[in-house]
Amino acid sequence: MPSPETILITAFWSVATIAIYLLSKRTYRRWPAIWSSPMVLTPVLLAALALSLHTTYSEYIGATRWLMVILGPVTVAFAIPIYEQRAMIRRYWPVLIFGIVVGSGTAILTAWALASLLSIDGTLRLSLLPRSISTPFAMSISENIGGVPDLTALFVVLTGVLGATLGENLLRVLPLKSSLARGALFGMGAHGVGVAKANQIGAEEGSVAGLVMVLVGLVNVLAAPLLAYILR
Amino acid sequence: MTKRKTAILLHKSLRGSRLAQVALIVLLWLAGEAVSRSTGIPVPGSVLGLFGLLYLLLTGTIHLSTMRRGAYFLLADMLLFFIPAVLAVLDHSEFLGLVGLKVLAVIVAGTLVVMCVTALAVDVGYRLMLRLENRHAVS
Repeated sequence: MPSPETILITAFWSVATIAIYLLSKRTYRRWPAIWSSPMVLTPVLLAALALSLHTTYSEYIGATRWLMVILGPVTVAFAIPIYEQRAMIRRYWPVLIFGIVVGSGTAILTAWALASLLSIDGTLRLSLLPRSISTPFAMSISENIGGVPDLTALFVVLTGVLGATLGENLLRVLPLKSSLARGALFGMGAHGVGVAKANQIGAEEGSVAGLVMVLVGLVNVLAAPLLAYILR
Repeated sequence: MTKRKTAILLHKSLRGSRLAQVALIVLLWLAGEAVSRSTGIPVPGSVLGLFGLLYLLLTGTIHLSTMRRGAYFLLADMLLFFIPAVLAVLDHSEFLGLVGLKVLAVIVAGTLVVMCVTALAVDVGYRLMLRLENRHAVS
């Protein structure tokens, strides 16, 4: 039986997290910008609150771990967008698979090479490897290959926010002919935030980005045991 | 009540209620976890649940409209469910210094390369595919 104090702390941080998230969403609708996106604003506000109350991460995550359990059902729900895009998968599957395999390979290799170059090693380097993959999948892969899933979630969020901005500028430079390529750029490089950005560019780009994001997650989760074997 | 009638009733009650749809998704997730644990295959239970739901949709056992609202209800607020992990930064004050800059450099440079390579690969693949299809159409 948990102590009344534990119950109180759990209730406080759960309510605070949900309330700040909803507030951030509303702020973003009012003033849409990168700094006000819920992905940036929510963790910044929560961190400020935790610091001012001298709450440690282990206390905080102990109280809000139940929210992350919901990532399980969220992963199952990804079956719906995959099913809805089945016509596109049937039409373009060779190109999509090619892009996903090349992109995922590049993501893992560049993270490994750049980290080694800057003398980042150990669990930190391992936690950086799955950063181009949508969060629920990335955290499970991180655990599989010996990284820290929580750190990976942090890197995934950073990748999404930075990637969406970088991708928009890249589009002006790269000679891309197809909406398939423009969508894949965002889905592979910046997952969730990238999909939102791709939707602003065009409906076709948006649905390609969403599909690529989900397939990247799936392909990598299925390949993770192999990667874990190679790394060991 | 016949089996068919039960099935129709189930679909009707599912279609109307977002909560029932979410409950069914949770059930598929739990089933996936159970299978993953009992068989020891190295695929997360949630991914097995995803394939389970995909199978049910593709075989027509479940219609898209009976699951769509519940699924998008979960997906729309996905961010909320992993925000707690992002606060892991509280435990890593070293990220405020050189290590943080290094990590940032890895992410920015890595993401630029990933985006260029992926987009160019897909563009080349797409053009190749169209050319192959045209050749088939001509011959």
